[in-house]
Amino acid sequence: MTNHWNDLQYADALMVIGANPAENHPISFRWISKAIEKGGKLISVDPRYTRTSQMANMYAQLRSGTDIAFIGGMISYALENNLFHKEYVANYTNASWIVEDSYSFEDGMFSGYDEKTRTYDKKQWAFKVDAEGNTLKDPTLQHPNCVFQLMKKHYSRYDADTVCGVTGTDKKMYIEICKTFGATGQVGKAGTILYAMGGTQHTVGTQNIRAYAILQLILGNIGIAGGGVNALRGESNVQGSTDFGLLYHNVPGYMDVPTTAEGDLTYEGFLARITPKSGYKINHPKFYTSMLKSFYGDNATKDNEFGYHYMPKIQAGKNYSFMRIFDAMYRKEIEGMILYGSNPVVGGPNSFKEQAAMGNLKWMVAIDLFETETSTFWQKEAGSDPASIQTEVIFLPACSSFEKEGSVTNSGRWMQYRWQAIKSKGESRSDLEITHMLARRLKELYKNEATPAAKQMQALYWNYGEHDHPDIDLVCRDINGYDWKTKKQIKSFGDLKDDGSTTAGCWIYTGFYPENDNLAKRRDNKDTGMSNFLNWSFAWPANRRVLYNRASADLNGKAWSKERVGIEWDGLKGQWVGNDVPDFVKDKGPQDPTFADPFIMQVGGKGYLFSSGLNEGPFPEHYEPYENPMSNSFSSVQFNPAVQFGEKEMNAKGESDKYPIVATTYRLSEHWQSGVMTRNVPWLAELVNNMFIEISEELAKEKGIKEKDKVVVSTARGEIEAYAMITKRFKPYKLKDKTVHHIGMPWHFGYKGIATGATANRLTPHIGDANSTIPEYKAFLCDVRRA
Amino acid sequence: MADYIKFVDVTKCDGCRACMVACKNWNDLPTATEEYSGSIQSHAKVNAHTWNVITYNEHETTNGNFEWLFRHQSCLHCVEAACEKACPEDAISHTKFGSVVIDADKCVGCGYCAQNCTFDVVELATYKDKHGKEYRKAQKCTLCTDRLEEGLQPACVTACHTECLVYDEKNKVLAEAEVRLSKIKERFPNANIYNPQGIKGTTTVYLLAEKPSVYGLPENPKVPLSQVVWKDYAQPLGKAMFGVTTMAVVGSVIAHAIKKDSGDHKGGQDHE
Amino acid sequence: MEMNVTRRQFLKLSGAVAATLAIVELGFDDKTAKAKSGEFKIAKLKPTPTICPYCSVGCGILVYANENDVVYTEGDPDHPINEGTLCSKGTTVRQVYTSEKRITKPMYRAPGSSKWEEVDWEFAFDKVVKNIKETRDKSFIHQEGGVTVNRTDAIAYLGGAALDNEECHLNHKLFRAGLGLSYIEHQARI
Repeated sequence: MTNHWNDLQYADALMVIGANPAENHPISFRWISKAIEKGGKLISVDPRYTRTSQMANMYAQLRSGTDIAFIGGMISYALENNLFHKEYVANYTNASWIVEDSYSFEDGMFSGYDEKTRTYDKKQWAFKVDAEGNTLKDPTLQHPNCVFQLMKKHYSRYDADTVCGVTGTDKKMYIEICKTFGATGQVGKAGTILYAMGGTQHTVGTQNIRAYAILQLILGNIGIAGGGVNALRGESNVQGSTDFGLLYHNVPGYMDVPTTAEGDLTYEGFLARITPKSGYKINHPKFYTSMLKSFYGDNATKDNEFGYHYMPKIQAGKNYSFMRIFDAMYRKEIEGMILYGSNPVVGGPNSFKEQAAMGNLKWMVAIDLFETETSTFWQKEAGSDPASIQTEVIFLPACSSFEKEGSVTNSGRWMQYRWQAIKSKGESRSDLEITHMLARRLKELYKNEATPAAKQMQALYWNYGEHDHPDIDLVCRDINGYDWKTKKQIKSFGDLKDDGSTTAGCWIYTGFYPENDNLAKRRDNKDTGMSNFLNWSFAWPANRRVLYNRASADLNGKAWSKERVGIEWDGLKGQWVGNDVPDFVKDKGPQDPTFADPFIMQVGGKGYLFSSGLNEGPFPEHYEPYENPMSNSFSSVQFNPAVQFGEKEMNAKGESDKYPIVATTYRLSEHWQSGVMTRNVPWLAELVNNMFIEISEELAKEKGIKEKDKVVVSTARGEIEAYAMITKRFKPYKLKDKTVHHIGMPWHFGYKGIATGATANRLTPHIGDANSTIPEYKAFLCDVRRA
Repeated sequence: MADYIKFVDVTKCDGCRACMVACKNWNDLPTATEEYSGSIQSHAKVNAHTWNVITYNEHETTNGNFEWLFRHQSCLHCVEAACEKACPEDAISHTKFGSVVIDADKCVGCGYCAQNCTFDVVELATYKDKHGKEYRKAQKCTLCTDRLEEGLQPACVTACHTECLVYDEKNKVLAEAEVRLSKIKERFPNANIYNPQGIKGTTTVYLLAEKPSVYGLPENPKVPLSQVVWKDYAQPLGKAMFGVTTMAVVGSVIAHAIKKDSGDHKGGQDHE
Repeated sequence: MEMNVTRRQFLKLSGAVAATLAIVELGFDDKTAKAKSGEFKIAKLKPTPTICPYCSVGCGILVYANENDVVYTEGDPDHPINEGTLCSKGTTVRQVYTSEKRITKPMYRAPGSSKWEEVDWEFAFDKVVKNIKETRDKSFIHQEGGVTVNRTDAIAYLGGAALDNEECHLNHKLFRAGLGLSYIEHQARI
């Protein structure tokens, strides 16, 4: 989230697209309700009518996988009808920047495409620069090749009729939504976009989110209270686990993993690659070196490039993401798997295939509170023949969140502490303890060896006490960072150095753990202004609550609205003051040429309406899902041209003649993720005890399905049986030239626990987004019949 | 002491069901899992181990709009409570909070309260004593009277994040209910405050989005005269004449008569 | 511990005087019912604040536990986001502890076996580290095309979204910086 939960109350309009907060983030509704009570308009855009839709002022149905069409039309409407925030667009975004002539867009394709590799040469989308390397601009926004004009032209194709023919939305309602949300483009108004996995789990997922961001930028909704692009994250610490680099391509603090690329041969070369010439990321060398120092301690010196070569280097250009793990497992390239609270047999795409691939493992370690479908994939109940599965499985019982202590980071980036309420149940242990004990034992095993593998492990600086139970305060210190010589904890990431004199396990958290304090433990709930609660817990970075808050003030540093003061320039004091920690240099005043550059993390300091960061193009363009019921109305390019395919055997594709019904998966209020925790909680199992699919009365009638019937859902990947939930809340999509049915189903179920049921992910395709490789769980094709 | 009531503004409910499990958590109630209902609703209605249930009603309004109506269903704590009148053992009484509670020590499990409840919220639970012998007790929402005694709100109200459930001073709440009613009339023209005067009002008052019948609530419930006569006249008289135990037997005959008589007034379960 | 929880009084009922508690049948059987009747269940317990383990709203929860059991959980009234309220999942975290389905001992499944065996931690740790070392040593790539790469592609790591930050930090540090894994992923990817 750019903003945070309490901040939602300040919105004049809230568009929920690809999320269902009433069910999946219920307490957010405490604040959404407050916004509505003050006259704010809640807009629910969703393939199905959910509990959120019922609470909304407006509901628009959209076909799964058509967000870019929907938002593209809204961008177009705002531009054509002059609803956009002109001052903001002209000054705080890159609308005025002029793009190279090599950029073009024709019939669904941008310039620079290479069909063989399914990649673009992004240099063709570069900005024009003068001899000194300065970007050329046209402040009048009239130049035909300036971003503003290119954007306007691109989205002029997204007229309401074409859009609604693709999305299946009622046109009257669509226009109403364009007007209502577009009205937040007025100076002083605020609109927020709330999204979750309904936005991301598509082959165009990342571009969906970029489309939301572009709309918010042109309406001047970023950086202000009640605004923002807000990802409603699904797990208590998926924010933290991402911050701490538990993805193949990131180390902590969103910095790159070294690769085999030539430039990465030396630390210097690597730093040159990851450090831009302007923007806050110019400090990357300080953060990276401090991190290496935390990893390798005394074994990280200037002479050995701060231990850079102990870090594993991944193959340049190779994708090591979730689905590719199972591809590799299928090819018998992976011998062992370690799972910390993870259940891919229920949560992974095309999960029966992923389960089959696990049979190729030599060993598996599962750390969890309850038996999972993954840790028991070898059992008869799983459809396996135990005798033929040679995988050795070790299950380590973990304790729950209140049987240990530590912090989690919520969607609003608040790092909050959880104290231990009771000793861990039975012999279960905290994950912290388990990892610590593994590390100590492994170090012991490698102690006397001289292989490169042993040296890496020996170099690792593991300083959390000499007992089985690690000292969590030492871990906090390690995350925060300290001066290597004086051992004093660092106050702010601004104090980190690139010479090996400081450490920082995760620079964005630096400052949460100053000497003698842990700011994550703060419990002062006094509202310090605009519900930012600056003395409650700690928000990264630097306790800042609303990101890009410089943009809450106008060109002179005055708040756009007196009702929504983020930060303002105080000329007398010569600094930024207000209700938040400035996301800007505190004393940078109007004399500074970059005073009006609010997006400090970006090169050039502006919000990017046009960006070459993503793989399929500088503007989001609608492409149909991998499996789809109609041809693309916007171009002759059916499918995202930059999507990379994985192992063919893992990814059978269904066509609409055999599978004419659109399917989507989702979560319920009463269960969580793969259900491991909630399906084992009796009171929750009681609330939703059965796997079901939601289908419309029309489709039920067509298929002869009656209330409470069991049905079979089939896709190119497999079949599952579930109860039918026939509902008026599902309506067939009325598309351009045909009517298409759709169904929805929760993905929480499996065969273990108290509440059991068929696993929806046995049906989902094994294909992912062109940038993030997140699977396309949200839009695929199926057929339905009575069981 | 000022009168307090529980107020349920169904138009603020987002159907999260925290109230259902908050009740189980505070009152240590076991699960009572039901067969798949064909809808997201977990229980057909409240039962002995599930003292409140969120009902989900897919409703097409007279002007052709669709509304998914949620309602927190639980004991209304009637001011004139049929269960209290029907109880032959004086096990049911009103507390100073207006809550209607069942004294488990006095309850003999005869079930007249369950049969006669205006809103069908009382049910018998079966237990076993240490010798394995079964016995029954009538069960329902207590309005968390034990929490009220400690100055805490009912568990369901405490959990509710949209302020659909409120427990507060009666006059204040009813005044706010009127304001709220006028606000929601545009979307819900049939909205109304449900505080039936035929039973002298209830200690749980609803703001309903639709007519009571849409939620399976009786439009104008009354405690039948026969039942009042039974409780206030026949029963004390009978007790004096035959003693307590025998009265339950006599009661059985009369209670059946009452049930038949009150059939039209009884609140049925919600139909989804 | 710096956790200044105030047990906030939600409601002041003017003139509330001690009266006989309404006795209701509370337990699942006679025995618990007897034990509980007439006693305020959280009377002597000091609550411990925690944050909900489910979604990312980050609601505060108070855990009322005695030495051996979690007796009750409720929304933290001092928490600025949820202000004492919770959803159905947050409300029932008590049963994450009390659920009879919790696994409380390490378990081992031998290759080809059709059942779990309960084992002790030493046995389990021993198996895990030996497996890691054997696979890693066998598959470890020191150099690739002349570049020092120090990695293994034969072990996959999954998980983290349900862990604490401190745990994520140690996991990242051990599995990437110490063991050289390339396949490190978690729920954010899916």
